Amino acid sequence: MAVEATTLTGADAETTAAAAPAVGAASGIDFEGVSVAYKGTVVLSDLTLAINPGEIVAVIGPSGSGKTTALRAVAGFVRPSAGRVKIGGRDITDLPPYARDIGMVVQNYALFPHMRVDENVAFGLRARRTADALVKERVAECLRMVGMQSYTKRYPRELSGGQQQRVAIARALAIHPRVLLLDEPLSALDAQIRRNMLDELARLHRALPHLTVLYVTHDQTEALTLADRIAIMRDGKLVSYGPSQALYRRPPNRFTAEFLGRANLLTVTVEGRALGSYARARYGETELLVQEHPSLGAGSKCLLCIRPHEVLLSPPQGPCNTLRGIVQSTVWQGDQHHIALDAAGTTLRLISAPMHEPPRAGTVLDVHFHASHGVLIPHDEA
Amino acid sequence: MPGSSPGMTAEAVATRRASANTGAALWPLPPLLILAGVFFYPLSLILHQALHGDFGPTTFHYFSVVFGTAMFANALAHTIEIAAAASAGCIVLGFVVALILSFVPFPGSKLLARMIDTVIALPTFLVALAFTFIYGSAGVINMSFIHLFGFQNGPIDFLYSPWGVILAEITVYTPFVMRPLLAAFSLIDIAQIEVASSLGARPWRIIRQIIFPAALPALLAGGSLCLLLTVNEFGIVLFIGAKGVITLPLMVYDKAIQEFDYTTGCAIAVVNIVLSLALYTLYRFVLAHFGGRRAGVV
Amino acid sequence: MLVWSKSGKAAAWTLLALLVGGVYGLPIGMIALASIAGQWNGALPSHLTLANYSVALTGDPGAQLRVSVITGLVASSVALTLGAWAALALRNLPTLPKRALDLLFFIPSAVPSVSVGLGLLVAFSQPPMLLNGTTLIVMLAHFILISAFTYGNVSAGLSRIAPEYEQMAASLGARPAYRLWHVLLPLMRPYLLAAFSLSFALSMGELGATVMVYPPGWVTLPVGIFALTDRGDVFEGAALTMILTAATLAVLIGLSLVPNKAATR
Repeated sequence: MAVEATTLTGADAETTAAAAPAVGAASGIDFEGVSVAYKGTVVLSDLTLAINPGEIVAVIGPSGSGKTTALRAVAGFVRPSAGRVKIGGRDITDLPPYARDIGMVVQNYALFPHMRVDENVAFGLRARRTADALVKERVAECLRMVGMQSYTKRYPRELSGGQQQRVAIARALAIHPRVLLLDEPLSALDAQIRRNMLDELARLHRALPHLTVLYVTHDQTEALTLADRIAIMRDGKLVSYGPSQALYRRPPNRFTAEFLGRANLLTVTVEGRALGSYARARYGETELLVQEHPSLGAGSKCLLCIRPHEVLLSPPQGPCNTLRGIVQSTVWQGDQHHIALDAAGTTLRLISAPMHEPPRAGTVLDVHFHASHGVLIPHDEA
Repeated sequence: MPGSSPGMTAEAVATRRASANTGAALWPLPPLLILAGVFFYPLSLILHQALHGDFGPTTFHYFSVVFGTAMFANALAHTIEIAAAASAGCIVLGFVVALILSFVPFPGSKLLARMIDTVIALPTFLVALAFTFIYGSAGVINMSFIHLFGFQNGPIDFLYSPWGVILAEITVYTPFVMRPLLAAFSLIDIAQIEVASSLGARPWRIIRQIIFPAALPALLAGGSLCLLLTVNEFGIVLFIGAKGVITLPLMVYDKAIQEFDYTTGCAIAVVNIVLSLALYTLYRFVLAHFGGRRAGVV
Repeated sequence: MLVWSKSGKAAAWTLLALLVGGVYGLPIGMIALASIAGQWNGALPSHLTLANYSVALTGDPGAQLRVSVITGLVASSVALTLGAWAALALRNLPTLPKRALDLLFFIPSAVPSVSVGLGLLVAFSQPPMLLNGTTLIVMLAHFILISAFTYGNVSAGLSRIAPEYEQMAASLGARPAYRLWHVLLPLMRPYLLAAFSLSFALSMGELGATVMVYPPGWVTLPVGIFALTDRGDVFEGAALTMILTAATLAVLIGLSLVPNKAATR
């Protein structure tokens, strides 16, 4: 799919916009050193990221992290001040938005209020002068895909939020885009509808295996549910990128550990290797057995990450550790008890199933965790 | 040049940006050219005529002749007085009416606000004509007094003084103050007023300390707009036709159309235009200073 | 919410009634009354009659009504086109030129109408641009005076349309012209209609510039009304004023009733 970049620069760009690719061709997305600055403020700093054809990548981060800017750079609404953006190997950085062959879904749906549902979905096809018969067929097909086939003649204002979002998705898919961009698509929906839509999106992704999806959200649940790989951003920079499970189980840095799931972080010193890919680390007076880290050898001062639901009240099978602390608070959350305890200066949080007699504040408590749940993280701070 | 090296990046970006920019810059040209041709060009000719007469070198002679006349001084003074008084009246009336409509609402208050708004669409001389029926020497009020009390003349004769024009202008231009005020009032959080009441503030204090500060941008914007519009007002002055009440626009009309003295007319017009543009600048400054939203304009 | 007591509310509403009634109700009522008056020697008119209206609608005034409406429609249409063009063109400009041009487009509304008329006379009284004495010069005068209002209204309306719609259309493959026609203009429709209504109303009531430039064959209603009242035919003048007002309101209301598919909620 590589095309000579020379034909795409300058004024020619508009006349060589690609025809819709054959259904079945998949395209990845590549960010190569993309930076975006706006009036002196750097919004995106040197982003290099490769998204494989057909996969879903979720880009998450706090507000101001640059994730939406990255998405809009792919869409063409933001011009990079440096770097290139490629789709399917083809450099699209200089192409106007209407020549990029992308589908886009945004938080507030942006359905055209003066057009009915079928006209909305048909919009992209008509803009490309597709034949009438083909348009009707494709519109019906896409509305069926999202379950909105009986709403063809309604106006957007007659639909609920979830329904509007489905139509927006159908509209984006109708043009056979190579890439689908989703910018916080579920943020405007109620919690219950959000859960349903999440399932819908997962189902759609399975039904369209050649569609590459870039999904921007601040909600890690959505990311963990849908994404093959997750990219975490902060202050315009890429902080970590990898398969969801790997990123969750072995967070490469502190921010990732705390942003993707909850984390307890203890400052430890590595003492040396131990049998079976474990390492020994010292926390205050206590020696712990933890997962070894390739670049954190003996003598390194670093962080130990333990997830709250992996801190247990009774010792698990296999190699495990024990920490003693004083209970600070116990909060009942309905289906969980959240306990905070002070273990030698650091607050340790644990989540357990609801108990009849939860430990009271001030009591001394021993908690345990399996050695493989203790993950070392470099003590960097960018 | 196959591929795209980083070195080419900035240049390619710059080229695309440049061509997009010239594209964007060309679109405003047609309306701009038309405006220049039919509006700015004639205005420049007015200035030209005022400085040169029908022919001749550049001179301020015509200006000084005009400025020397008592009639001009009279007209200028009247124009400014009437404008200032009318604008002040608009501000006061607009504030009171908008206040009651917004904060002591009744069913139909929205409709009433819209109806008052429609007055903007009506010709200004309508009010002047109506005034002659009401306040004229043979109008309703005076005739009632004559018949009821046997006076020789009615008590009301302000119509043929600047006050007649002022009152008519207040009627016509108050909506220009009311509209931004109503918009600004609708932005005030009702909760503020309720909390103030619960803390013991009486209506007058609430008006003074909460409502009025929030209304100030809209008042200033609306007031300066009224100043501009009343300085330019022609129809009302023409229709009331009081002998002693001449304003600059009326004088331009008289000189140019009645007396065919274009040069003098142009000289007066220049003064009128300069005054108007100064007030327009003031209005834009007020808007910019307070931000359009707070002034209730867009 | 400001005044709680019944008496306080009653007082406020009474004040409002007096003010609005005295300032607005009275004049409008008087014109209406005068328009059906046959004679007015006493405090109130005697001989109420509709004769004024029938005189008004036949003959000269009928023609004047036609002239005013045509001028209004033509001038408003041209002003709307140009104003919308300018508003759309200014959107994509960088800030400084945008502010400067914005200022410029509003100036015609700041300048007194009589001066606009004078300028047209002075500029177009000689060949090659001899417009003095033609209908075109009247249309031109009206167009200049209302262009700033159409531009302002359309501009304000444009700023209220969320940029997402256009961006979404672009992402779906629509080129600028397609977007303009199929997305932007339909969304702008309510603002375009409102701008047209206002312009039409202003044109119908325009006097200052018209009285400077009108040719004998193209007399607008306001000019006709002034001529009547100037020579003493006040009742007929009042009737014509009512007709003028009615015609203006009719067009305004008609336009506001056009169904609005673009309402978002």
